Amino acid sequence: MSALVAGAAGDLGGALEAIVGPLNLRRPPPALTRRLAAEGAPPATEAAYLVQPGSATEVAEILALASRIGAAILPVGNGTRASPAPQSPAKLAGRPRLFVDSRRMCHVLHLDETSLVVHVQAGLTALALERIAAPRGLSLGDFPPQVLGSTIGGLLSVRTPGKSSPRHGFIEESVLGVSAVLADGRTVHTRVAPRRSTGPDLARALCGSEGTIGFLTAAVLRLHRRPEARFLAAHALPSFEDALAAVRLALREEAAPAALRVYDAAEARAHLGADVCPPGKDEQAIMVVATAGPTDLAACDRDLVASAAAAMGGRQLDEKLAELWWRRRTGQDRGAALPAPVIQVTASPRRQAPVYRAVRVACAGMGVGLRAHASRFEADGAVLFFTLLGPGGQPLAGDELASARAMAEAAASAAGAVLLGSENREMEQYARELRRRLDPAGIMNPGV
Amino acid sequence: MSRTAVDADRLRRELLPIVGERRMSQRESDLASYGRDMWPRLLIGVRAGELPPDRPTIVVWPESEREVAAIVRVARELGAPVVPYGGGSGVCGGAVPILGGITIDLKRMNELGALDRDEMVVNVEAGMNGERFERAINRRGYTLGHFPSSIYCSTVGGWLACRAAGQMSTKYGKVEDRVAGLTVVTGRGDVIHTDGPVRAERGPNWTQLLLGSEGTLGVITSARLRVAPSPELRVLRGFEVASVAQGVEAIRRVMQRGLRPAVVRLYDELDTFINHGPLFGKRSDHAADVGPAADPLLAPAPGAAQGALPHIPPREHDGPAPAGLFGRALGLLGGGDAARRVASRLRRDAVAAALSRPRLINSLAAPLTERVSRRGCRLIIGLEGSRIRTGVEARLVFDELDRAGAIDRGEEPGRQWFEHRYAVSYRMSPTFRAGLFVDTMEVASTWERLMDLYRSVKQAIAQHAVVMAHFSHAYPEGCSIYFTFAARADPARDARRAYDAVWRDGLAAASRAGGTISHHHGIGLLKGQAMAAEHREAMTILRALKSTFDPDGILNPGKLGLPAAITHDEGEWAADEQAAAP
Amino acid sequence: MPDVFTASSVARQLDNCTFCPKMCRFACPVAEASGREQYTPQAKMDRLNQLRRGHVAWTEQSTDLLYACTGCRQCTTSCMHGNEPGLVLLAGRAAANARGAGHPALAGYPERFRSREQRLVEILRDHVPPDRFADSAPVGFWPGCDAIDKGLGDIDAALRLFDRAGASEVAVVAAGQACAGYPLLAAGLVDMFRWQAARVAAALKPYRTVVINCSACVYTMRAQYPAEGVNLSSEVLSLAEFLDRLEKRLQEAPAPSCNLRSVYYHDPCYLARYAGVMDEPRRVLARLVEVRELPGARADTECCGGAGLLPKTMPEVADAMARARLRQVAARGGGTVVTSCATCAFMLKRNAPSGVVVQDLASMVSGQDARSGPG
Repeated sequence: MSALVAGAAGDLGGALEAIVGPLNLRRPPPALTRRLAAEGAPPATEAAYLVQPGSATEVAEILALASRIGAAILPVGNGTRASPAPQSPAKLAGRPRLFVDSRRMCHVLHLDETSLVVHVQAGLTALALERIAAPRGLSLGDFPPQVLGSTIGGLLSVRTPGKSSPRHGFIEESVLGVSAVLADGRTVHTRVAPRRSTGPDLARALCGSEGTIGFLTAAVLRLHRRPEARFLAAHALPSFEDALAAVRLALREEAAPAALRVYDAAEARAHLGADVCPPGKDEQAIMVVATAGPTDLAACDRDLVASAAAAMGGRQLDEKLAELWWRRRTGQDRGAALPAPVIQVTASPRRQAPVYRAVRVACAGMGVGLRAHASRFEADGAVLFFTLLGPGGQPLAGDELASARAMAEAAASAAGAVLLGSENREMEQYARELRRRLDPAGIMNPGV
Repeated sequence: MSRTAVDADRLRRELLPIVGERRMSQRESDLASYGRDMWPRLLIGVRAGELPPDRPTIVVWPESEREVAAIVRVARELGAPVVPYGGGSGVCGGAVPILGGITIDLKRMNELGALDRDEMVVNVEAGMNGERFERAINRRGYTLGHFPSSIYCSTVGGWLACRAAGQMSTKYGKVEDRVAGLTVVTGRGDVIHTDGPVRAERGPNWTQLLLGSEGTLGVITSARLRVAPSPELRVLRGFEVASVAQGVEAIRRVMQRGLRPAVVRLYDELDTFINHGPLFGKRSDHAADVGPAADPLLAPAPGAAQGALPHIPPREHDGPAPAGLFGRALGLLGGGDAARRVASRLRRDAVAAALSRPRLINSLAAPLTERVSRRGCRLIIGLEGSRIRTGVEARLVFDELDRAGAIDRGEEPGRQWFEHRYAVSYRMSPTFRAGLFVDTMEVASTWERLMDLYRSVKQAIAQHAVVMAHFSHAYPEGCSIYFTFAARADPARDARRAYDAVWRDGLAAASRAGGTISHHHGIGLLKGQAMAAEHREAMTILRALKSTFDPDGILNPGKLGLPAAITHDEGEWAADEQAAAP
Repeated sequence: MPDVFTASSVARQLDNCTFCPKMCRFACPVAEASGREQYTPQAKMDRLNQLRRGHVAWTEQSTDLLYACTGCRQCTTSCMHGNEPGLVLLAGRAAANARGAGHPALAGYPERFRSREQRLVEILRDHVPPDRFADSAPVGFWPGCDAIDKGLGDIDAALRLFDRAGASEVAVVAAGQACAGYPLLAAGLVDMFRWQAARVAAALKPYRTVVINCSACVYTMRAQYPAEGVNLSSEVLSLAEFLDRLEKRLQEAPAPSCNLRSVYYHDPCYLARYAGVMDEPRRVLARLVEVRELPGARADTECCGGAGLLPKTMPEVADAMARARLRQVAARGGGTVVTSCATCAFMLKRNAPSGVVVQDLASMVSGQDARSGPG
């Protein structure tokens, strides 16, 4: 670690103030400090600030400053991160910490309605973008509502499988170009084009790397027109496995639903009402689907899904059930507050059923209750969400939860699931080396 | 650029235990055959009878990724450049060994692995020929949906190294949209796999960082590719629009409605005239200069007492003038052999004269074609996929085109295009034989900038060559433009000067207009100098990737706008990274 | 139809190959089996172009590419220029010989051919009972040199089939020649080929129809004999075509049953792409057993490596081609592959992986392998 100049704290504050102005510089809020501690960071011994730049230029100056003095840059978005990032204490110890909050950089720089492309600053939340796009009949896409709370920068920097829809793919693929500031303060812009053959896709070095390669300041994203029609449907299938098979069949027939979810019986009862799966139908699964697009095509997709469900022994249910799901999904209807699923794994098509079975078996073995649903289906696979319950049906907590969760996750991994936020061990050295080349002083989110 | 001082004998000795005597060569004729790819600038030299100026020091044919890794490690030790070679069909000089060294021909690594029907993913080695790959998975009921016009003569590895696109990319995506994972031997000599559900992993998307690296970060040895079920239905159709602008608008509307045809090809006026116009009747004369029209299945028989084998022509004997597109475009015809010879010489000279004045031709072309053909622009549409959905989608596409003012010309133009979709490669020979050079420039941008991009690049090229264009590879947010240009210049030195001028001005215009300098052909040597304008500061990231994956700079030096020099870095992982993470 | 044999046409073909991105490379079995750029049809034709234009000197080393070809014509079926590298390269070999720059492995080939002829004629005389020969007959069965050399059992099987069909009009040709001369053309020895053709034509005069089990020689006799001014009075049939003609008579006769459910049929290149004989062998087989297609069937058939004298000039590549051909069968769990050419049968048998059995058509139809069982 580069040596710090004695008394840098005072100089640092002054220098930062000169860049962003006194109103945009403060001590980090306790919540932020607590979260960082929970992720494994050692307590701060040097100065720590929350800096709120208003432009990419200011970000560049901040990073250049940090490089000079060896301060750690910790990007802050909306704090909606799904999975914690384990922090490496050694990398954070003994150096000033600058929490750089991009939320003042929240403007729409250009909305190109001819190309259906929008150029936004990274601190804009997806929800705010949707609010701007909606009156023009445009949208980022049918992404899950939980995702919309994040900033664009957060959505692109932190990769979780949940940020996808069968219709619009993974959000990273909606990126046509990004702007970012490198450790030495240089700003890079990747050219905006639908597709290119100009070497590696450099934007993909920036997306998913959690600010370690560059600090995202802006992005150019695809937008979509509001669909002409939307159809909602719900189907009951004999089992969770049958439902997954029905999804696979429908996707093979090229159905492109806007959203698709499969609940097991316990989860369906909790989300959609106790009578959706009558007693004795404990193996049943419920599939809800929204298809959207030009009317005939959306109807065709709806019918393809329905045939697939019927082929797997399914029975169509009242549309009202699907409408209930959709209202909750789009935030129009709160419903009862449900605990967030503690286990989220991604599994490829062939492994989805085995993973579900493995977790059920593990939970049964532990005497732990289980609810599950699958969604975010696309070519690569889907995400399976598991909620662990105690004997009374209440969610587990504390040590009980920790141990049950560990066993369940182990069972899922053994069956071929990949846990959220996994490290790619094979590429570890390359990742480190790339960071070293671009960030010799090791300032960019060094803890992760 | 000078070759590295690599000891050829030492290379041979070090590589011998890896591949054995039979799978290495330093024979002059082998080395010469790996000195070039299909970069038209090099063909100018071929026509002039020049020997290829660059050649490797040695060629090797590995049969496993272990061998490739061993070869790379030897190369690192000796500071020898390494150039991967697939089908050699690249048009940018990406496979040219400008500093000599080791050319690794991947074609003996051409096995097709398992196809997982549940996951719809197939494992294939990088050296497998594209057409053979597609046929093999067709037999199992699947398609990759990737149909570049080079499919017969390119390899899977080449596609991946260049981010190639096929004619149906609008539906199936470019090749980089179909990769589930890669196996790559990096410039460090490591074998890495980039599989795994990217969705769940933290960190950069390594697959997307290695795709398109054109052999500068690693040698791709195999890949897991996403396949689709073979289509149950294919619909092909031709339309006519009054102008390029109308056609572009029609395509935009189709794409932004959420429809995904497989094929979208809009030909500008000149391209329509030449390829779909009246002079060529129903059959588009893509393959100029065709031999026997009879059934190629039966071997032709020599005439009675003509001799059992063909006659080898004496050295001065040139083939007949190509009855190709340029000759026929000027409509000169002669009768009888002698007259035909005179006419063909006249034709050749007239063509030559005309093509030495490209601006004249270009300025005549537009009103001429409009007046003669009154056909506007041809638009070819194709859809394929599952039976029911494709039928529904096709109807929606045709309705949308109708609303946009396109006139339906029925199935026939679509089918014609489909039957001759690979014929364009057969134009190279007659065109070069006629003393011309021909090349293509493919750029892309968002819709907003597209017409401006089209006009600027066309104008820039038109100063030096006759140019026509078609629009294809459409996206909801934009499209690619494919310019074809030809000119005549002699001797080779002048031809190359004219050629370089086209590219210099064309790419500059593309960058200025906000387009990308390459949509799917890649960079190679040809566009290296334009990389700075394309990526600007982001070149820092590319250079960092380069030093990470190839610290000694041995992999395909001089390509992708990276320096043509071997560096000898310390090469080892940096010392302070040894500390294990807690 | 333009004549590909004229000097003008060949010049056009050679120039067309030079600038081509090698569109046919996927279809060249020599290129595919070896992975070498030099062995693509483009490179081979380009080399001939450089030689004939004087850019490269005619030497043993420089002409080697002209021999890296079996003449299988798979390149031609996909070439939109209509180029015929298979035939043009043979002409190149002739030109090489004329300049003393032929392939070293074919040194002294004329002598070797002559002594082989003598040997094979003797072997046939010793193997086949004298009463099967006749100096003249309506139909003369002339097995073909590779059949005599490497497939005597298949000759026996053919004779059994003729007996079963009551085809008493068939006699074995009594001639002092065993080969119609294709190998001489493959060696670029056109004069000697003409000489051989004349002798063969004379020997075959007494037979109205000649049946031959060599796929290359069907085309050679039908097309290349007249081109050298040698007129054959006989009708030339491949064995497959003749067996197809015998259909009714074969069906009436009792035949041993076949205990295979299905077989694959490998089209010899020279039958499929030179003579157009593809349906007849399938019909003959289909009466007995289900015929399944190999990947690359009929006009897309892939060469076994046995033609063009490749086994003499590049034996490893030739064997690699045969192995490649049978790999698909092995990958599907093995099976029986039937072919209708003595050369193909030999190449495939010699390179068959375990689980793959190769049979000549006559042996397959006659009920069993020649070495075993009642006749």
